[in-house]
Amino acid sequence: MLTPAELVWLIAAVAKGDEAAFERLYAATRAKLFGVVLRILRRQDLAEEVIQETYVKIWNSAGQFNPGLASPITWMASIARNRAIDVVRKRGEVSIEEEPAAMEVAADSPDPLARREMTEELKRLLECVGRLEPDRQKLVLLAYYNGWSREQLAAKFETPVNTVKTWLRRSMMDIRECLGL
Amino acid sequence: MAYSEDDIALAAEYALGTLDADERAKVETMMSADNDFTAIVQSWEYRLGVLNQMVGSVEPSPEVWGRISAAAGLAGPQAPLVLPEPPPSPVVPEAVAPPPSSDNSNVIRLSAQARRWRNIATVATAIAAALVVMIAVGVSQPDLLPDSLRPKPRTQVVEAKAPPASTPPSAQYVAVLQKDGGSPAFILTVDGATKNFTVRKVGAQPEPGKSYELWIVSDKLQRPRSLGVIGGSDFTARPVLSAYAPEVVNQATYAVTVEPEGGSPTGVATGPIVFTGKLIEAVPSRAPPPAPSKR
Repeated sequence: MLTPAELVWLIAAVAKGDEAAFERLYAATRAKLFGVVLRILRRQDLAEEVIQETYVKIWNSAGQFNPGLASPITWMASIARNRAIDVVRKRGEVSIEEEPAAMEVAADSPDPLARREMTEELKRLLECVGRLEPDRQKLVLLAYYNGWSREQLAAKFETPVNTVKTWLRRSMMDIRECLGL
Repeated sequence: MAYSEDDIALAAEYALGTLDADERAKVETMMSADNDFTAIVQSWEYRLGVLNQMVGSVEPSPEVWGRISAAAGLAGPQAPLVLPEPPPSPVVPEAVAPPPSSDNSNVIRLSAQARRWRNIATVATAIAAALVVMIAVGVSQPDLLPDSLRPKPRTQVVEAKAPPASTPPSAQYVAVLQKDGGSPAFILTVDGATKNFTVRKVGAQPEPGKSYELWIVSDKLQRPRSLGVIGGSDFTARPVLSAYAPEVVNQATYAVTVEPEGGSPTGVATGPIVFTGKLIEAVPSRAPPPAPSKR
């Protein structure tokens, strides 16, 4: 992975239509973005379609990237993740029986991040998530990492959808307060 | 314009990803009509987006670049250039010691940091099966101790690298060995699985010609057993607890006595007990991360 500064530079070049920079950007970030969307979509083919759309969007909207608001990878991952969530929500629940092989890849464990590798922003967020009740922590993390719907979360937690809805909302408001937003 | 809590919650849930298709469409419509609302949504997306740092990388198939290149209308060759791969970043083991400092404000800061890290550690274990767990013990009220026992501010964070993902990290136990509820003199940590223990000297300095010796005291043992001389250096690690049953290790009292230099010559404690403590579970053992729903 290139440094954030190098990625910012590449995105700036991409915004000017530099194809070589775009290819370098792709090479440096594709595996991370693919990891993010594959967890949500759980199917190689769908995840690759989303990756394709994501990079086309990055190519077309690189000029809108504001390094003051987000790190390059966070900006790119949020485009990819939004697209992936749109796909799963429109498709309805993805059946894992459809593609058990892809499941295994998606279940690949997250990068164990040593403390020093975490950014200050991540530490801050984890600190706030850590203040939630253990069940709510799980709820938020499963929602984020796996892209689960309220219905899927309700099934997992064996609780009515409306309860999940309330929990999610309260958890997000608690995180907001903790972050001082 | 001011936004209601409903709007803000909607933006947050959009970023989290839990809205259904209709609600997502609604948020997207609101975003297209309202730049300020877009900024709220994006702020959530970027705040939460750091969570992706924890997600493992997976390579897509090589054909994907060709499709992107075609779809984006790139002029260049569609076969990917051979690009130098950046070297994998080395995983550097965490060093335990931040720079020593001698003012007491540092102790308070460390203790606040310790709380913070405990919080973060909890979530991190909810996320990953393999991670760094932290046992943090803050020093409180060091001023109550006589000079000879007053802890020098130094790191109070003991870290244990959790075992690989295949085995859940084992529980970590901590005993703070102290006198009459005063400040810790030693911090004993025991790994629940291996029963290796480490003793970190916090402040205690033996008198010249004397040594501190650690004992395990249990009603299941006929007499206190020596776990060896400790405190000769800041950090002592030994595997000797593996000889004891888990319930003995967990429920025993740990005591430190003052002995002649090099430890008790007889194997029986001869000096006064100066510090004691019992183990508490500081980091519970973790189940592996939840498997994706089998539905």
